[in-house]
Amino acid sequence: MKKTTLIVALFFAGASAFAQKKTTTSGTINFDATTSLDALPKAENKTVVAALDTKTGGIAFEAIIKSFSFANPMMQGHFNSVNWVDSDKFPTATFKGKITNLASVDFSKDGIYAAEVSGDLTIHGITKPITTKGSIIVTGKAIAAKAAFTIKVEDYGITGKAIEAGKVNKEPKITVAVNFL
Amino acid sequence: MGISKSKIKNIIIAGIIIAVGTGAIIWYQYTEKFGDTGKEKSEYTISAINIIKEFKKNDTIANKKYAEKIVTVRGFVTAIELADTTVNIKMADNTGSYVIFAFQQQHLAEAKSIKQGDNVSVKGSCSGGAYSEILETEFVTFKRCALNN
Repeated sequence: MKKTTLIVALFFAGASAFAQKKTTTSGTINFDATTSLDALPKAENKTVVAALDTKTGGIAFEAIIKSFSFANPMMQGHFNSVNWVDSDKFPTATFKGKITNLASVDFSKDGIYAAEVSGDLTIHGITKPITTKGSIIVTGKAIAAKAAFTIKVEDYGITGKAIEAGKVNKEPKITVAVNFL
Repeated sequence: MGISKSKIKNIIIAGIIIAVGTGAIIWYQYTEKFGDTGKEKSEYTISAINIIKEFKKNDTIANKKYAEKIVTVRGFVTAIELADTTVNIKMADNTGSYVIFAFQQQHLAEAKSIKQGDNVSVKGSCSGGAYSEILETEFVTFKRCALNN
């Protein structure tokens, strides 16, 4: 825990860099693992912590796994169970990365900018590198960010009969929407 | 000496009853949806400051106590944050640690009616809490919330 704190602290190091840090505690992540056989594995988490450093392009997310809200109680139970994400043992998912084409984004000028993001995604206690494309929307002092990508659940040690039977997508779509303050 | 016709008939009837019963349970589980939180009974009622205190003291114990339980929390709204197309209500202590509420679809209008500084009571499903490495504060989240005033 302390080591991770130190890494994050170094990531956003320096008082001047800190001044460029935008945060929110109401980021949204949608998880869609539906298939033609099952429309239930779909959830939304609207209380994601996120930070963006406009100077370095550093970007980070933290989500409490149990905050993913499903319409169906049984599916929510399966999702959190030991056989899936085991949210009692691994209560959070995190992402720490960077906008790799920061020079293409002008945070001082209104516009919609294509952004490329690379970093480490940790789910179920397993960390894997990911790269995705998204957009940064600058409107006055407001900055919003959006991205959509897929992950392979197998990469994060999530397997099971429902996945093998095609009831849960092996590559769920993750959609992120954030309004930084 | 084989099984009598009446026994076979009873076995078939029992099989049909079991099959129909199992099918009904599976159908119910697949079509069930979370009910209106506004109509559910709270297992705990607590102030925002006190629930934050409990999580700050030991979030492992607090998570076991509150996670996935319906809880009513009363406190002053310190922030209203845009969450995609809706808003979340936030109650923070003087260190920046906070409890945040995402509202249930049928209660979204209630969330939008709340103003910063309002003293409100919110009922929702506690998702638990954790220490934020980003914010360096404890945060507690709720889903499927309804205004309880």
